[in-house]
Amino acid sequence: MCGTNIAKMVDVESVAKFISTIPNVTLVKTYKYMCSNPGQEMIVQDIKQNQLNRIVVAACSPNMHERTFRGALRTAGLNQYLFEMANIREQCSWVHDDPVEATKKAMALTYAAVKRVELHEPLESISVDMCPNVLVIGGGIAGMTTALELADSGYLVYLVEKDSRLGGNLARVDLTAPYLYSARDLLTERITRVFNNKQIQLHLQSKVTSLTGFVGNFTANIEKQNGQESTGTKPIEVRIGSVAVCTGYKEFDASRVTHYGYGKLPNVITSFELEKMIRAGRIETKEGKVPQYVAIIHCVGSRNVEFHSYCSRVCCMTALKYVHEIKSANPASYVSDIYIDMHAFGKGHEEFYKRSSEVKTLFLMYEKGDRPVIHRAGPKDDCEMLIEVNEKLSGELIEIPADLVVLMVGMEAREDSAEVAHLVNISQDKDGWFIESHPKLEPVATTTDGIFIAGTCVAPKDIPDSVAQARAVAARILAKISKGKIEVDAVYSEVDENLCSGCRFCNKLCPFSAIEYDEEKRQSHIISALCKACGVCVAACPSAAIKGRQFSDHQVLAQIDALISKIEYA
Amino acid sequence: MAIRVNPKLIDDLERFGAEDVKFCYHCGDCSTVCFHADEVYRFPRKSMRYLQMGLGRKIETTLEPWLCYYCGQCSEQCPREADPGETMMSLRRWLISRYDITGIARLFFKSLTTEILAVIGVALLTGAFLLFYGLSQGNFSIYDGEGAFLPSHFIHSFDLLVGACLAVFLLINAVRMWFFVMVRGTSFPVPWWLYPKKLYLMVWHFFSQKRYSECERKRNTKVFMPWIVHLGLMLGYVIMLVLVMGFVEKLQYGPRIIWPVHIFGYLATIGLTIGTIYFIRNRLIRKNYVQYKKSHSTDWVFVILLFVIVLTGISQHIFHRTGLNEFANVTYIIHLMAVVPWLLRMPFSKWSHLVYRPLAMYFAEIRREALKRQGAVLPAYSY
Repeated sequence: MCGTNIAKMVDVESVAKFISTIPNVTLVKTYKYMCSNPGQEMIVQDIKQNQLNRIVVAACSPNMHERTFRGALRTAGLNQYLFEMANIREQCSWVHDDPVEATKKAMALTYAAVKRVELHEPLESISVDMCPNVLVIGGGIAGMTTALELADSGYLVYLVEKDSRLGGNLARVDLTAPYLYSARDLLTERITRVFNNKQIQLHLQSKVTSLTGFVGNFTANIEKQNGQESTGTKPIEVRIGSVAVCTGYKEFDASRVTHYGYGKLPNVITSFELEKMIRAGRIETKEGKVPQYVAIIHCVGSRNVEFHSYCSRVCCMTALKYVHEIKSANPASYVSDIYIDMHAFGKGHEEFYKRSSEVKTLFLMYEKGDRPVIHRAGPKDDCEMLIEVNEKLSGELIEIPADLVVLMVGMEAREDSAEVAHLVNISQDKDGWFIESHPKLEPVATTTDGIFIAGTCVAPKDIPDSVAQARAVAARILAKISKGKIEVDAVYSEVDENLCSGCRFCNKLCPFSAIEYDEEKRQSHIISALCKACGVCVAACPSAAIKGRQFSDHQVLAQIDALISKIEYA
Repeated sequence: MAIRVNPKLIDDLERFGAEDVKFCYHCGDCSTVCFHADEVYRFPRKSMRYLQMGLGRKIETTLEPWLCYYCGQCSEQCPREADPGETMMSLRRWLISRYDITGIARLFFKSLTTEILAVIGVALLTGAFLLFYGLSQGNFSIYDGEGAFLPSHFIHSFDLLVGACLAVFLLINAVRMWFFVMVRGTSFPVPWWLYPKKLYLMVWHFFSQKRYSECERKRNTKVFMPWIVHLGLMLGYVIMLVLVMGFVEKLQYGPRIIWPVHIFGYLATIGLTIGTIYFIRNRLIRKNYVQYKKSHSTDWVFVILLFVIVLTGISQHIFHRTGLNEFANVTYIIHLMAVVPWLLRMPFSKWSHLVYRPLAMYFAEIRREALKRQGAVLPAYSY
């Protein structure tokens, strides 16, 4: 009944009465909340007392409560697959407004479920061993954190970094916002620990060239690289149980925003170029002068439909960090901060924003689609450039003097992200970021078991968030390792070796890369641990050699037959 | 044409008292709580924005700072402690220095030492001149009548001379204000007949200070204290000015009391005394009202001089009526040593707002009416 969710539209008593007339049906019961503890207990008792061997629950979606009722079956000592749910809520009571028709439909759906469950077979879940070794791709702050966390727990980690040094993008940064800690200090400690940790096998200037297998039992090839080229040395083959992908981001190419004149005007620089200056200890123009007027422009490449509509999250606070760095290097300078919105969402950020006002930063707001334009100043002006902008908070068209313009370039997915996604078999969104299995509840897992993602390869984020994700990945992997075995759902597809002709149609179609081709036997083979039972191969196989367990032809056809049969629903 | 931003102006304004305007992040809370902001004159946020951006030419042509009477509601409300009320006060000081053609006001606002030296200098010059004059022709033990140390006809001429200086400076400043606001700052045509039509507003606002009283609504008290005291102080000042300029000979006549003249003198003295004590007390305690939390150094010079003037004014009156003529002459000289710098300082200090406020209300209404005649569609309330 689901309270009144079902009962207000469907006459459940009539449905029960009708179902009780069907052959093989021993017992029919209605209950207010079948998913509640008393409801489940009732099922357990009835199974035991009446020696029931098949159960149908007509209620909500199996997505919601199939696990719950399977649990009841197990408790009663019945195989959990001898069960079927008829969805008379989402697919019936919620979407109809005619109680008579809705009741008839509920009868049909339940009847079809009964017809189907008659053909269900008991299935056993399988379990495979979990290899405790881990592959971490990317040696930035996220990758190193994951690797150290796992290695410190005593497991072997292969840390693969494409570059010749560790640290990733963070190694290009001087101080961090909002507490102005040194990025170098954060990294040095980690890098030293990675080098000294016996449990971490570090592969610099290397690339993972292949990954096969399934959760708990992957095999990867790591190849030494010379730039983009393979060095030709023999790849190292490693056995691993899980993979952490921490490949990071790359900065937006500022020359794509043509009217900022990046690349043409010598003193228009990107945030990373300013970092370089700060690390070298001197903020100056190309002519070697100390700039009197510095302008910082936010959202270069971000929050704009032309380039990236998302917010890069770290640039606002980084810009404020520059304000402090510029002011402390040259207290006589004037800093204009040209922004769209000030996103000060994190811990200590709002306070940092206020401290930036305290040093008399001139904050100027521009409208999203109405970007500032940079001109060269005239000979009479006391500055190099003039930035023209429609200032939103005053409503005035203004020009801002500038000797040095800093473009806050946003984050974007790396150019090799598609290659990585393909390698480890995960998906990307329209911007190229890797997709989590659930954005809120599964932020570091992916749709492929055993593959985890952390840091800025998932979406733009700051250091604390990246580190938190990295540690979350480590925790998820450690949980799997400590369990020792991987439980695989018994619902998967199987190839009948007597029928398979080895045409390999299914190999290419499988969205989970779960089908292997056995060269010796010249036949395809499905790795049950990877199969999600989507049924694509079952439908595609020209020889009808693939069978979906729990979704066999005769089970599905029986259900369909029942639905379209001409029964008088009284 | 784009207006050039001047990031340096905010440094300059700091000396005028706008120390916290840098904190403003333009939430607009201040403008929404303000009783006086409306769809034509929006403040304090917008004025603060112009100041942050250093649009000096723009601020120069605005009237908004004069339309604020510093009730302090905005500063109490401000989530970032940017003190909009004090910023408006500072802008008024800055505007005074801009209207002043001589540059003296700017000097005084920026340097307390200069101001004190100037005040002491003028006071000493006045004292020396009066002593010299008195000794050269009068008797130190005679206060009025034949052979007086400082005869009242001489004092009358002296007063008129000082008054003329005051008037000339104020007039020049007022004309400059008109030029900035009504010529440079008004882009639409203003019909000439609006000037006589709206003239009554200047008189009305001068004598009633109605807008100031409106600021007191927020406090829900029956007696609008600062407004009433301020009005008393101002009326006392004006009455005294009229008496001194026109009736000083009758005022000094004695020892008999000439009631038709002296009654005004007493009333003015009451207003000035209460005002002085009230403002000194509030500035010292600084608790009750936001507007007294921060005092500019020029404020203190004003109240201290006023205190000396009131004290010596009352004493010389008493000494004269009780026949202590020597004492009366000494206190009178000290009195004038304070009065002259006080009066001459007026066009260069905050106290010139006596003229600018009613003028601002007058100009504001002329502009509003002219704008309405333009059929201009005023944007909805967006402060």
